[in-house]
Amino acid sequence: MDVRTLIFLVGVIGLSFYFLGRYRIVTQSAQAVQRPHSLLHYYGLYPFFLAIIPSCFIIAIMQVADGFVLSILIEQYLPADIRGGDEFNKTITLSRIENIASGVIFGSPEDWLIAAANKWLIWSERAQLTTTILAISSSILLGSYAYMKVNPGFRSRNAVEQIILVMMMFCSGVAILTTIGIIFSVIFESLRFFALVSPMEFLMGLTWNPQFEGAERAGSGQEGLATYGSVPLFAGTFLISAIALTVAVPVGLMAAIYLSEYASPRIRATVKPLMEILAGIPTVVYGFFAALTVAPLVRGAGESIGLTVASESALAAGLVMGIMIIPFVSSLSDDVINAVPQSLRDAALGLGSTRSEMTKQVVLPAALPGIVASVLLAVSRAVGETMIVVMAAGLAANLSANPLDAVTTVTAQIVTILVGDQEFESAKTLSAFALALTLIVITLVLNLIALQIVKKYREQYD
Amino acid sequence: MDNFNGIEPPMDTVGNIRVNNARIMCNNVFVHYSDKRAIDNLSLDIEAQKVTAFIGPSGCGKSTFLRCLNRMNDTIATCSVTGEILLDNQDIYAPEIDVVPLRARIGMVFQKANPFPKSIFDNVAYGPKIHGLAESKSHLENQVEEALRRAGLWEEVKDRLDQPGTGLSGGQQQRLCIARTIAVSPEIILMDEPCSALDPIATAKIEELIEELSEKYTIVIVTHSMQQAARVSHRTAYFHLGRLIEVGATKELFTSPHHKLTENYITGRFG
Repeated sequence: MDVRTLIFLVGVIGLSFYFLGRYRIVTQSAQAVQRPHSLLHYYGLYPFFLAIIPSCFIIAIMQVADGFVLSILIEQYLPADIRGGDEFNKTITLSRIENIASGVIFGSPEDWLIAAANKWLIWSERAQLTTTILAISSSILLGSYAYMKVNPGFRSRNAVEQIILVMMMFCSGVAILTTIGIIFSVIFESLRFFALVSPMEFLMGLTWNPQFEGAERAGSGQEGLATYGSVPLFAGTFLISAIALTVAVPVGLMAAIYLSEYASPRIRATVKPLMEILAGIPTVVYGFFAALTVAPLVRGAGESIGLTVASESALAAGLVMGIMIIPFVSSLSDDVINAVPQSLRDAALGLGSTRSEMTKQVVLPAALPGIVASVLLAVSRAVGETMIVVMAAGLAANLSANPLDAVTTVTAQIVTILVGDQEFESAKTLSAFALALTLIVITLVLNLIALQIVKKYREQYD
Repeated sequence: MDNFNGIEPPMDTVGNIRVNNARIMCNNVFVHYSDKRAIDNLSLDIEAQKVTAFIGPSGCGKSTFLRCLNRMNDTIATCSVTGEILLDNQDIYAPEIDVVPLRARIGMVFQKANPFPKSIFDNVAYGPKIHGLAESKSHLENQVEEALRRAGLWEEVKDRLDQPGTGLSGGQQQRLCIARTIAVSPEIILMDEPCSALDPIATAKIEELIEELSEKYTIVIVTHSMQQAARVSHRTAYFHLGRLIEVGATKELFTSPHHKLTENYITGRFG
């Protein structure tokens, strides 16, 4: 039975248990004097949940596991030279077998391949059968168990709420586990990179030039021609982010103050959504806006006052990126400024403050944690932004603090490294993971520092 | 204007709305929120260096009228005020009046204690700082101490001036707010139900404080509690559905009210 029918079947079983449970409690409480402990539908929901949740887990686990288990099982049918050979060949052979088993046949495969494919088919049918039997039987068994427990004295509301609590914990666990999973996968690939290139060279080196990576470095441990000094990339990232924040934070904050303290409700209702549209524009669009409109403007303006400006400059990219993150600063800050209680404003005004004194000395300090949070969000957007940089700032890894030069960023390099066909063993490809890891660590540290700052200066108003 | 419990409201306020040494004179004040009339043709004098109490059932307009006196109603976009409110013979709603120094002259204490989320010292120092009243750091410290002393809070907080004002108890917070108001050296203090969120002991302290302050300041207090009005005020005004029904010396108004509505209210028949 295929998975779709199976899930459908489990659903039907679950629903029947829902109605059975409800019917049972209705008839039982009609006979008994005792009123049921919970509302009637809880007596249906309890068997329903027990019937479907464990079955769904079984189906999911079997789906994930079966390919893995089948590959191990099928290995014994491979010829000895492939079984003992390298990992790569084995993977290719296994996927050929899987293809043949599902009917995708290129040319005329060898006999042993067809035999293995037949085995594969048999095994996978068995796996499906096992899944079906396990899922259906657990559904029926647990459903009936729950059904038997239904009686007016049974506290089914508590039981159902317990199940829902566990489900919610599971969901929050998924988010955390995913984060941990991402970090670990990045760490493992980075470790492979640091086996080839020393961390000192990577963190301290001033030249980034992965283009001449040859097989000799990856294979034999010889020094390649490429250099992996990441300093220019991080310098570029910070230069562009700094320019972006210099644009976005003042503009966004001023806009937020205007919207929440000065604008009439009607203006606010119009302007705020309009500003939020900025956040909805795809970054690619910002990218060509930067490359085609802003970069030539910057260049023209620079040259008219006698400065040399590269045609792709950090300034152009940073300016456009700043525009992009204005709504993150303004919209969030506006929300937190609005959340400052009116009573504090009244107090300040009642003492004879002007609106601006009130805003500067009472409202903004009270809203500070939220404002810092919004700036942090803007920082992480700026550091992680890729498209604008690729299009407008260029890929030249110059180490320069001059915003008129072409620079590149970490994310832009990761993209260029990983785009196209890549040899996964080479230091060049692996360097992308090391870059990503360093970036994650840096943003994490920035977050921690900002949290400390907020803790120190916050003014609690509750 | 309905639901007067079958009793006709007077066309004019009962009692003498004028006093000899008036600090504020209000003539024919109307207040509207959008189209809704909140204050209906009100004329009243506020006597200098005395405590005037506004009493009346909820929604009678007493807080609204109080907030007219230092133009706090300006912050509400839909609120419009007509008529004259004269402070020292100058209409405070005249276009040439700057509301900022006006509010420094007429301080306000709110229903719910609203200390700034700053230290106790900074709460009190806020007003002197923004108005540039202190010449030096030590002068500012003196002013803060003076204000806290007058508010009867100094002994309780002198060792923890750097701690947040929001960490004080409810009654202490309200006295801190009073100290903050005094620190600006206002001439008039408006109090909008300053004790409604406090326990009886904290309330007693504030009432004591009001009595002391009335020697120096002109005070207007809105209160829900008739006992409080009787205890602290010299003159009482009774509001009903946006109208000023009766005004008179507190003792007289509570012992022999002239209007039936006032009598019903103070004998607890409604409100």
